[in-house]
Amino acid sequence: MKRIKYIRPIVILLLAVFFQSCNGFLDVNENPNAPVSENLKLEAKLPAALLATVNQESGQLNLLGAFWGGYWGTTAEGANLYFHQKNYNGPGLRDVRDGYPVWETSYTNLLYYHIIREQAGEEGSLFYLGITKIMQGWHFLRLVDIYNNVPFDEALQGTGNVTPAYEPGSEVYRKSIDLITSGMADIRNAPAGLSPGNADLLFKGNSRLWLRFANTVKLRALLRQSEVAPVSYIQQEIGVIQSEGSGFLSEGENALIQPGYMASTGKMNPLWETYYRNVEGVETALHQDIRPTQYLLDRYMEREDPRVDQLYVAINGTFRGVRFGDPVVNMEQYGRSVTSSFKGPAENSGQPAGIFKSATQASVLMTSSESLFLQAEAAHRGWISQSAEILYQKAIAESMKYLGVSLSDSETYMTHPMVAYQGTLTQLITQKWLALNTISSIEAWSDYRRLGLPEFPNSRSVNNPDVRPNRLMYPETERMTNLENVLAQGSDDILSSRIWWQK
Amino acid sequence: MIYNYLRNFTPFIFLLLSIQLVSAQAFRIEGKIAEKETGLPLPGATIQAKESSQATITDRNGHFSLSVSPGDLIEIKFLGFRSKELMVDESSSFLDIHLEEDRQLIYEVVVTGALGIRRASRELGVGTQVVDNDYLTQGKQVNPLTALTSKVAGLRVNMYDSKVDPEIRIIMRGSRSLNRQANAPMYVVDGVPVPDINRLNPNDIESITVLKGANAAALYGSDGVNGALMITTKQGSGGNEKVTFAHTTSFSQVFLLPQAQNQFGQGQNRVYSPLQSESWGPRFDGTMRDFGPKLPDGTQPQLLYAAPSKDNRLDLFQTGIQIQNDVSFSGGNETNTYFLSIQDVRISGILPGDESSRTGIRLNGSRKFGRLRTLYNANYVRFSKSIAPDGPWLSVYTSPANIDYPQMKNWQDASSIANPANYFTDQLKNPFFLLDNYRQNSDQSVLSGKLEWDYEITPWLSAIYRLGYHSKKDEKRNTTGKFEAKGKRNVNGAVTDISEDFERINGDLILNFDHTFGKVTTNMILGQNFRTDRTRNVSVGATNLLLPDLFNTDARVGELAATSGSSLSQYRSLSVYGELIAGYDQFLFLTLTGRNDWVSVLHPNNRSYFYPGVSTSLILHEAIPALQENETLTFAKVFASWNKTGNVTLDPYKLNNPYTQINGFPFGNLVGFTPGSAYPNPDIQPEFVTSYEFGTQLSFFKHRLHLESSYVFSDSEGQIFNSTLSRATGYSSAIVNAGRLTNRIIEVSLSGDILVDANRKLNLGLQFSKTNNRVEELYEGNSFNIFRQSYAIVGEPYPSLLVSDYKRDPQGRIVINEKTGYPVLAEQETLLGTMVPPYQLGLNGSFSYKNLSIGFQAESRWGGWLYSEIIPRQYTAGTHPRTVTFNREPFVYPNSAIENSDGSFTENTSVISPGDKAFWDYEGKIQVNTAAKSDFFKLREVNVTYRLPEKMLSKQKLFSAASITAFGNNLIIIRHKDNDHGDPEYLYNATDGYVSFRQVPPYRSYGFNLNFEF
Repeated sequence: MKRIKYIRPIVILLLAVFFQSCNGFLDVNENPNAPVSENLKLEAKLPAALLATVNQESGQLNLLGAFWGGYWGTTAEGANLYFHQKNYNGPGLRDVRDGYPVWETSYTNLLYYHIIREQAGEEGSLFYLGITKIMQGWHFLRLVDIYNNVPFDEALQGTGNVTPAYEPGSEVYRKSIDLITSGMADIRNAPAGLSPGNADLLFKGNSRLWLRFANTVKLRALLRQSEVAPVSYIQQEIGVIQSEGSGFLSEGENALIQPGYMASTGKMNPLWETYYRNVEGVETALHQDIRPTQYLLDRYMEREDPRVDQLYVAINGTFRGVRFGDPVVNMEQYGRSVTSSFKGPAENSGQPAGIFKSATQASVLMTSSESLFLQAEAAHRGWISQSAEILYQKAIAESMKYLGVSLSDSETYMTHPMVAYQGTLTQLITQKWLALNTISSIEAWSDYRRLGLPEFPNSRSVNNPDVRPNRLMYPETERMTNLENVLAQGSDDILSSRIWWQK
Repeated sequence: MIYNYLRNFTPFIFLLLSIQLVSAQAFRIEGKIAEKETGLPLPGATIQAKESSQATITDRNGHFSLSVSPGDLIEIKFLGFRSKELMVDESSSFLDIHLEEDRQLIYEVVVTGALGIRRASRELGVGTQVVDNDYLTQGKQVNPLTALTSKVAGLRVNMYDSKVDPEIRIIMRGSRSLNRQANAPMYVVDGVPVPDINRLNPNDIESITVLKGANAAALYGSDGVNGALMITTKQGSGGNEKVTFAHTTSFSQVFLLPQAQNQFGQGQNRVYSPLQSESWGPRFDGTMRDFGPKLPDGTQPQLLYAAPSKDNRLDLFQTGIQIQNDVSFSGGNETNTYFLSIQDVRISGILPGDESSRTGIRLNGSRKFGRLRTLYNANYVRFSKSIAPDGPWLSVYTSPANIDYPQMKNWQDASSIANPANYFTDQLKNPFFLLDNYRQNSDQSVLSGKLEWDYEITPWLSAIYRLGYHSKKDEKRNTTGKFEAKGKRNVNGAVTDISEDFERINGDLILNFDHTFGKVTTNMILGQNFRTDRTRNVSVGATNLLLPDLFNTDARVGELAATSGSSLSQYRSLSVYGELIAGYDQFLFLTLTGRNDWVSVLHPNNRSYFYPGVSTSLILHEAIPALQENETLTFAKVFASWNKTGNVTLDPYKLNNPYTQINGFPFGNLVGFTPGSAYPNPDIQPEFVTSYEFGTQLSFFKHRLHLESSYVFSDSEGQIFNSTLSRATGYSSAIVNAGRLTNRIIEVSLSGDILVDANRKLNLGLQFSKTNNRVEELYEGNSFNIFRQSYAIVGEPYPSLLVSDYKRDPQGRIVINEKTGYPVLAEQETLLGTMVPPYQLGLNGSFSYKNLSIGFQAESRWGGWLYSEIIPRQYTAGTHPRTVTFNREPFVYPNSAIENSDGSFTENTSVISPGDKAFWDYEGKIQVNTAAKSDFFKLREVNVTYRLPEKMLSKQKLFSAASITAFGNNLIIIRHKDNDHGDPEYLYNATDGYVSFRQVPPYRSYGFNLNFEF
């Protein structure tokens, strides 16, 4: 077998050559294109998370709340726009391809905080840790407001738990409030001089403002339960807030996010870029077709509200709105050119208008006005001991200020018979509704679901005037991946199923 | 000699092997046996001296030497070819012999096996099928993959859009991977693996050997897990100088548009509106109505409010034209071969403005230097295309039935109703404006080639080194013309320049040993392979250009587009492999294979993996003497194989989660990084597919009827796939090693020469396969979402279609919500079935009479479901036929029920469903309305060829052969009655049975071809 004899040395030679070249040849799997988590410091991650939160708040949630909270409709030309919002098409809104992915966006944002929270925990960065807990609390509360029961403890574990179990909305509410409380403790314990500084797009590392903001978010969550939660729990939590002692966001303390917007596509204030003008100053599609409801304008006008002039373009000296969900194309009454669009500098002699001030204006996460309205309601309910009337007036004044109304006009408004404090919840909530218009619209829808206030008309695309949307259905993506847990929650019908804090 | 297989088992063969009769006058002749058509060597051909019974067989390069006496008659035999006899004398020192293929004996063909080494099919213990050039090119397709459609049992080819560069998905013997991108076979051109063959000229292809299943491609490793298409391009050959010219022109026309209603026109709520794009207006009434806004000169355009009898949507399309010219030169002598071809293809698509062109040059050649044979080939293809992105068709099928599209063409005219500033609606754009103003251009250069050195060290050992190179450079430019107008009518000018480079270098060192021990022949291959793939993508874009006609990122407003950037990627692998083939007495063969791969994309601890295989074949009618005399059964082979193939379907850099900046970051010096949405898994392991196969090849009635059948089982475990996750996990997907899929496949091919006589020949063939695919295990739980409505569900085929459905009472009546009149949704989705048709039947036939021949190709697939995204959009836009079933009036939902408070149901006779837009929009979101069975029968190709008879040709000297062919593609289609959606073969995004709202309807084509040989 002399031939076979040759084979062995040949094989050995072959293998020798081979393993020689194997060394290092295969070590090319380090990503040359993008950093991985380990390469990035906390300050490279936190800004992205905070901006994602405010984008969801002023974009996705604001739009849904504006339609379902009585603020917005569309022009006659835009009768086909946002149709699933108009006809309360639950399956359409949960659709994987054309749906409205509040769930998906919320958990993605939660993940951003989750990763920062883990890293901050490992590094002992208490300030960052506190921020992530507060912001996670924020998002979980929002999720419950939209979907009721959602995963909390079992969420955000990647493949550690691929079918996270849902917890009752009330549980998630309590846990979120506790999480915020715990985050506040972290911020208080953070050593001075180790603040996130400019990476904290919200308060530039100001711990006092963070604590006030966190208390305000908690107060909002407690008020949401006004119709259902036991008094003892509310009192206990109010007690926690009071003994913490930082108070709530007050006058001049808007929670704004300013990453350094610039006049360039994708880097402008998103509200501006979506609802007002593009980088070249061309009117956007939604500026053409989004209009205030006539009901909203009437509420401003009957009070001679100076804000309406800051917010909307007058048509022949008056303000004309539309009817939400109107299936009739009535160009004469509801066409683009005969209804009041959002006002911006272009319609305001180049001056900043109410909501649209400039392409690089800060985004609003929460206004001081809302905080004051929350405090006013808490006072009205006797939960806190301040004067509801003063808080109510400050809240209106803060709204006027944000929208650019002069102090004198603001003071005159306060004396209007419909505005002067009457001590009714209807008046208080109506004023809050007028103040949060298009800024935190999702709150308006939540207040409507909670209190039925104000009594704005239903969508005209719905054949039964009694049905209103109470929630979004669990998204199709969730049904696809976690169906058993979805089904265990019972009906998620958009009209008949309710959020736990609804009466 | 590698492949010592002998052709005739007559008793004297034993003498040949053992006795050397040397007569006094004896001398040696040498020679080479090759195929006449191609010039490729024929290894294992028998050369026998009639007188002396001396015989020998050719070596791997077709060479032989034999001791003969002057005046001996020698006979050259090779199964599958016509035998040849010739007289030898001392002057015939080197014989260059060409054998002509005998088409009747298709089961004894030479196939291109693993590593591109040519083998007799009898040795193979696995299913193979050979498609030769004639068969491949009969439909005159531009893409070789389209040309393979319905020609190979178990091979599923879907061409799934109507662009001038259609996308194609190809799957062999069912899905083995839950990773839907990883089910394509590998492509090997002349022994070199290449990433795709879309740009290969089908006319350059001598033959495609389809090695089915993982077994066949064990030696290629991971890429071969789904089988391999072994492509052999043409070689020149000595004594066969040839120049060919071919011209093809074909025309294509759109067909199979989704159904639309033509009773109601534009408006909302049954009120006419001149500005609305949706068809929710009043019933067409034949009056002239205001249409769109007033023109700049103040006139109000009007349009007839009635749908024309012809489908107005057809006016978007034009007749596509395809012109193809081919020239080839081939020739050679003993030491050199030469093949040069040039092809030029110009296509204009069914959408106006869409066009592509392809010019390719191929040079194949070889030269011998003593014992060293060098081979080279080079193929350069320049491909350009310009297409409109998705949009024009979407605009048309959601627009009213009375729009007069011919009026919409001159959009540049500022006073025309077609001008984007005046178009009747601003909710949609003029499709002709979309076609002209939004363009995607691409210029591709593909260069591929190989160099091969083949050195015969000793008669029993040769070494081959083969270096393959493939590069693809794609320069893309997407432009959007700036159109200044108000609001929605405004279009920002944009440009994106994208440069994508891909380069692969592949090297194989192969040692080839062989030896014969009496009746036992052995051959062993040892090899080593390396591969590097490099990709480099650069994109620079601007979304706000300053001037309408200046497409340059420098002339922009604001920053560069957020998508601007670059990325690099590298993949490397190393392998060692071996194959041992043992044959006994030329009727029993056993093959053992083994390979070890090392890949760069896994963690160093996991990146090495080994996989073995074994196969065997038995030629029954030679093993069993009784069969040799059998008149009915003229050939019988049985074969079986088992193997386990490792596979890594992972892209580079997937072991970590990359962070990117989105949402406008960076803002100056403020950075903000966010993680990707796929959960990374650093511990990914290779996945393994275990498969076995057994089958038989039978020939009956003197090779007039052939039957080949096989049963294949495959079991894929530890699948690497991107599994969709509940978003509550924080991620949208995770890369996991999980899931098990099995396939049980039956394949049957039947081919018969029904009629053969001097003038006439009728051949009919049939390919059938049934794939029983099942998900056995999953990562966690019993079902996993794959893509939108397609799922992997344990116990069901992959992928299965799961859709939302109506809630029904026990009698099957649809439950209606008492308050709203809307149907109630079922709590759970309904499982409709598999999205891949499990049954596939191909039919082909050819009939020739003298110089006229007719061929056809048909295919049917059934048993699957499809889902169309076009449908919900049509419901919303009011163009779907179902939205007019109740004349848009309130109605009582037929066969419906109301749920009582006690959970019982009563028939619904009074609750009125609104029947308006809101209602039908809701109906369109009930996905069961969007699904249909995807069964179909298609007559894919018919062709008629007339060859100029010898008599006519002999009168002139210009050309030696000429023919003319008329052909048609996609001529007849029969679909399931519920499928009014479109082409059931259409796929989206590498899914199965999922039709996107973007996809343009299919086309049928017809044309002619002229062919000359000089």
